[in-house]
Amino acid sequence: MINPRIDTTAGVIVQGITGRAGRQHSRIMKDYGTRIVGGVSPRMEVRDVNGIPVFPDCRAAVDATGATACVALVGALQLLAAIQEAVAAGIKYLVTPTEGMPVHDALKALHLTRDADVTWIGPSTPGMAVPGQVKLGFLPNDSLRPGTLGLMSKSGTLSYEAGYRLAQRGIGQSVWVGVGGDPIKGTRYADLVPFYAADAATRGLLIIGEIGGHEEEDFAAALIQHRFEKPVFALIAGRSAPEGVTMGHAGALVHGSHGSFESKRVALNAAGAQVFSSLGEMVEGVARRL
Amino acid sequence: MYIIEHDAKELLALRGVPVPAGCLVEAGTAIPAQLPSAGPWVVKGQITMGGRGKAGIIRKAAASEELERHVRSILGTTVRGRTVSAVRIEQQIRGAAELYLSLLLDAASGGVRVIMSDRGGVEIEAVPANEIKSEVAPLNADALAACVLRLAGSFQNVAAHALRDAGQRLARIFLEFEMQLIEINPLFVYPDGSWVAGDAKLVSDDNALPRQAELHALVESRAGVYPEAALKLAHGFDYVVVDPDGDIGLLTTGAGLSMMLIDELRAVGLKPYNFLDVRTGGFRGDPARLVNVLKWISAGRHIRIMLINIFAGITDLGEFSRLLVTALQQVPEFKVPVVARLAGNGLSDARRAFEQAGIKLYTELDEAIAEVQRQLGAA
Repeated sequence: MINPRIDTTAGVIVQGITGRAGRQHSRIMKDYGTRIVGGVSPRMEVRDVNGIPVFPDCRAAVDATGATACVALVGALQLLAAIQEAVAAGIKYLVTPTEGMPVHDALKALHLTRDADVTWIGPSTPGMAVPGQVKLGFLPNDSLRPGTLGLMSKSGTLSYEAGYRLAQRGIGQSVWVGVGGDPIKGTRYADLVPFYAADAATRGLLIIGEIGGHEEEDFAAALIQHRFEKPVFALIAGRSAPEGVTMGHAGALVHGSHGSFESKRVALNAAGAQVFSSLGEMVEGVARRL
Repeated sequence: MYIIEHDAKELLALRGVPVPAGCLVEAGTAIPAQLPSAGPWVVKGQITMGGRGKAGIIRKAAASEELERHVRSILGTTVRGRTVSAVRIEQQIRGAAELYLSLLLDAASGGVRVIMSDRGGVEIEAVPANEIKSEVAPLNADALAACVLRLAGSFQNVAAHALRDAGQRLARIFLEFEMQLIEINPLFVYPDGSWVAGDAKLVSDDNALPRQAELHALVESRAGVYPEAALKLAHGFDYVVVDPDGDIGLLTTGAGLSMMLIDELRAVGLKPYNFLDVRTGGFRGDPARLVNVLKWISAGRHIRIMLINIFAGITDLGEFSRLLVTALQQVPEFKVPVVARLAGNGLSDARRAFEQAGIKLYTELDEAIAEVQRQLGAA
């Protein structure tokens, strides 16, 4: 079973810490309470960033700090190598926000992380959070609130909006995982159904999906297979998107009825999930049941 | 990116895959006097969607007059909102069985799924599951080749021979071009075991384009056919005109939230013009992306207002708002009112910049949409 509830005492390193995003978000994560213990930059142009020591590679960073988790903030074409490096150094929890990773690379990374028993969240993810305790990635603080709703999302921005509105209604999250918008990824909705079923802090589950692929359909099948008993809600974007055109996310391409809003709605309803096509209805629907 | 059939066949032919002799005829151009094959022919509308036969944009022609009639009637046809702007004329294949072969990235099982059937053609969805053979292989040449051999071996002599040969070739192409999908349906197979790809559906990976020189060149040379991919290559973000008659330009970031906003606007009867995932994280202090977006939105014939919606995670709203004000100054042809909704990092900075520029700022999306409705209704 994949367990996304990261140990809050785990040491976290940041690959690409000297880059623009690395500098900014290592600070924001650290301020949130994440134990950022080191950064990696092969060029070693600086010795520390925001008071965080910088190492030339993951192996050196892990040896010096005992880190077990890693956030990789590197370019899309460098991401596979960064993942290989992190896994080889013994990292067990990996978050990769980078957008644009080639899908064949993602498939290779998936085999690698599975074989090494590494939890991989990404690519193209805003990251994950246990609100009030720890976050790995970019999830904005305005949207995070400790609570009982499990949340999984393909889209970063849409989940920020959803989390923000739910938080305004007093509904917070237990564990929030941005699974990411790419077709091939480390962790899919269906992979986390056993976790959310067993997690005592989770009383309901919201997925924020979108057209394309069949991940929502696979999630629906997993709900049935695991006899998931908590209330399940789904918000699906892209109802009015044209067929055959990729809408921003590599995964959001509809061919024929495959991957369409309707196909997802039918599958999710059959598994007992409530499906919404607008943010306002979703917030009201969740508020009524939780 | 979904590659149109004609380009897919040209690409496959260059790698030694047999395809029916054919040529492309675009709207406004004449049918070549010298066609690549003698009749009979098939005329096939070139748009990226399945079910073209059922939609009436694939037709057979025995003689030249019939060919011309079909070309004329298919060009310009609109199917599910898409206009056919090119047709492929190709040799009609006769005396061959129709089989099915595909390779696709299978997200659920984390491998390449190979699918074969000796009953292909338009009714593939109706073929019973036990007559379709399928197996998942890891993403490497040896494993994929072995998988093709095993699956092909479960068919009769002639079919097995053709599926083995076609499967091996297409597996190599799948890896070389980093495809997400290659589907050949029908795979025409003659009694002697030789074969021809009757149709070809290829979905490539836009993310791999920077290292796929041939596909990169295809997108650049045919930007009119692949506008979204060409735009992304040139500018690094996604922009799609979803309704040429739309009157609301959208300045948005994030694919999911941008799609959702379009859904919500349409649900209340409004007409958004475009989808945009501008990727504010990629601005790096330069207003160029915003300048382009403002120009493109200005080009919409019926644009009456622009709605900005940014929920900042990685973005800094202070920087965004300063760049937007600069961009607005650089695009004098942009004249419509702007309604903005911003939330997240750097909001107070953005508030100051927008106040100076006279842009109405909301922090709740519903309120911004209501303001758009009010302004459109009042005008």
